[in-house]
Amino acid sequence: MTTKESTQTVDAGMPSFTEVCQNWHRAAENLDRFNRMLTTDAKIAQTPKEVVWTLNKAKLYHYIPVVPEQDRKPVPLFMVFAIMNRPHVLDLRPGHSFVEYMLRHGYELYLMDWGEPGPEDKNMCFDDYVLEYLPRAIRKFKSVSGAQEFSMLGWCLGALISTMYAALRPDDGLKNLLLLTAPLDFSDQEAGGFTRWSSNPAFNADTIVEKMGNVPGEMIDSGAKMLKPIENYFGSYSMLWDKIENPGTVEAWHAMNTWVRDIIPMAGGAYKQLINEFYKENKLMKGTMQLRGETVDLKKLKANLLNVIAEADHITPPCQSEAVMDAVGSEDKEVLRVRGGHIGIMAGRGAEKNTWPHIEAWLAERSGS
Amino acid sequence: MSQSKDNQTFDPFDPTGMLKQMRDSNMESWSKIMTDFVNTEAYAESTGAMLDAWLTTSGPFRKAMESAMSQAMAQLNMPTRDDITRLAERLTNIEMRLDDLDAQLSEGARSNDTQPTN
Repeated sequence: MTTKESTQTVDAGMPSFTEVCQNWHRAAENLDRFNRMLTTDAKIAQTPKEVVWTLNKAKLYHYIPVVPEQDRKPVPLFMVFAIMNRPHVLDLRPGHSFVEYMLRHGYELYLMDWGEPGPEDKNMCFDDYVLEYLPRAIRKFKSVSGAQEFSMLGWCLGALISTMYAALRPDDGLKNLLLLTAPLDFSDQEAGGFTRWSSNPAFNADTIVEKMGNVPGEMIDSGAKMLKPIENYFGSYSMLWDKIENPGTVEAWHAMNTWVRDIIPMAGGAYKQLINEFYKENKLMKGTMQLRGETVDLKKLKANLLNVIAEADHITPPCQSEAVMDAVGSEDKEVLRVRGGHIGIMAGRGAEKNTWPHIEAWLAERSGS
Repeated sequence: MSQSKDNQTFDPFDPTGMLKQMRDSNMESWSKIMTDFVNTEAYAESTGAMLDAWLTTSGPFRKAMESAMSQAMAQLNMPTRDDITRLAERLTNIEMRLDDLDAQLSEGARSNDTQPTN
C-alpha cells in the first residue's frame, strides 16, 4: 500500500531528464559554495582606521570619521573588547557594522585591540590589562582626540575590564559606561555552563596554566561551543545549507564564521584569575577584588551606566550582569534587555533595529559638551 | 505551508530531503537534551577529570621535548625559547617606559605651547 502511494507521488511529479540534470548541477554548485563558506575568510573589519598607539601586542585604533567635524559628538567613544577573541565583530561587514553605524551618527571611535598573547605574556593578568595597558591607551587617546571626557563601551570580558577601570579610576574623565553582556556576579554557582564547570573541584585552572602557559584558543572555543553543542556543531551548518541559495544570509553567515574561526589564546595569568577569583570566589561583587594592591570598590564607579543584557545569553547568563546595578555608585543608570544571545544582540540580524539605536540614543543624550 | 508540504513528500531527487526531515523533527529535542546534559555535575566532573588526566599524561612528554630542544639549541649556540621569552618580556618593560616618556614629552610640549610668550 505504502509502496504504491510512493510510486504514485513520484509518477505524478516525474521531472524531465533536463530538470534532473539541472537539479544535480544546482546541488553541486551549492555544495561548492558551502565548502567555500567553511574554508575561506570573508572580508571583515573593513571600516578605515589608523593605529594611534601600540604596546606589546595591544593596538589602539582610531576610525576615520565620516561626518564633518562640526557635526561630530564632542564626547568620543572608546571600545574595549574581550581578551580571548578578536574585536572585529564590532565592525563585522560593510553594511552591517556597529562601528559604521556609530560613525554615521557622528561619534569619534577608538577601539582597543588586545592582540594575541605570546608565550612571554603567559603571566599577564587583569592587573596588567586594567592598570597598565588601559590607562596608557586612554592617556594616548585623550592626547590624540583632545577630549577630557569620554564614553567607554566594554563587551564581555572587556566589560569586566572596563568596570574595574571605571571603579579604580573614577576621575580619569570617564563620563558614560556601556556594559554589554558583562560577566560580573558569580554568586549563582549554577547559572550557566561555564560557572558550573569551573566551580567543579575537578576543574583546576592552576594546572591548566602551569602545563600550557597560555590557554589555547581552541580550548576556549570548544568550551563555548559545548555550552550549546547541537546548535554550534550542527545547527549552524544545517542552517547555512538550508539558506545556501540566499546570498544575503550566506554573506552574513560567512562573515560571522570568519570571526568565530579567528581564535586566539588567552593569557594564562588572566585565565587563572578569571576562574579562581571571579568564577569561584566572586571577589568583585564581594568587594574583595584587588588589582596591584588596590581594592576594586564598585561604589566608586560614578559614570553614567547603561547595562545591556542579552536575555538568551548562555555564555553570560543575565543574572551575572544584573547585580552590578545595585553595587555601583552611579546615579544615572539603566538596564537594557535585548532579546538574543551573547553575540547576536550586537552582531545578529536584528542588532541594527533592536540594540544599536538604543545604545546610540542613550549615548547621544549624554555626549553633549 | 509549502515548506511543510515539501517535508512530507519524499523526493528522490533531493538527496538531503530525508536528512532535513529527520533534523527538523528531532533537532529541538536533541538540542535540549544535550544542553541539559552539559549542564550536569556529572559532565562537569568528567570533563575536569579528563582534562586533568590529559595534562598529567602529556606533561612528561612535553617536558622531555622542551628539555631536548633546549639542549640542542644550546649545542648549536642558538637562543632557546626561554631566552626569547625573557627578551620579549624585557622589551615589553622597555616599551612601557618609552610610552611613559613619550607621554611626558607630549605633555611638556603642550605646556610650552600654552604658555604665554613675551
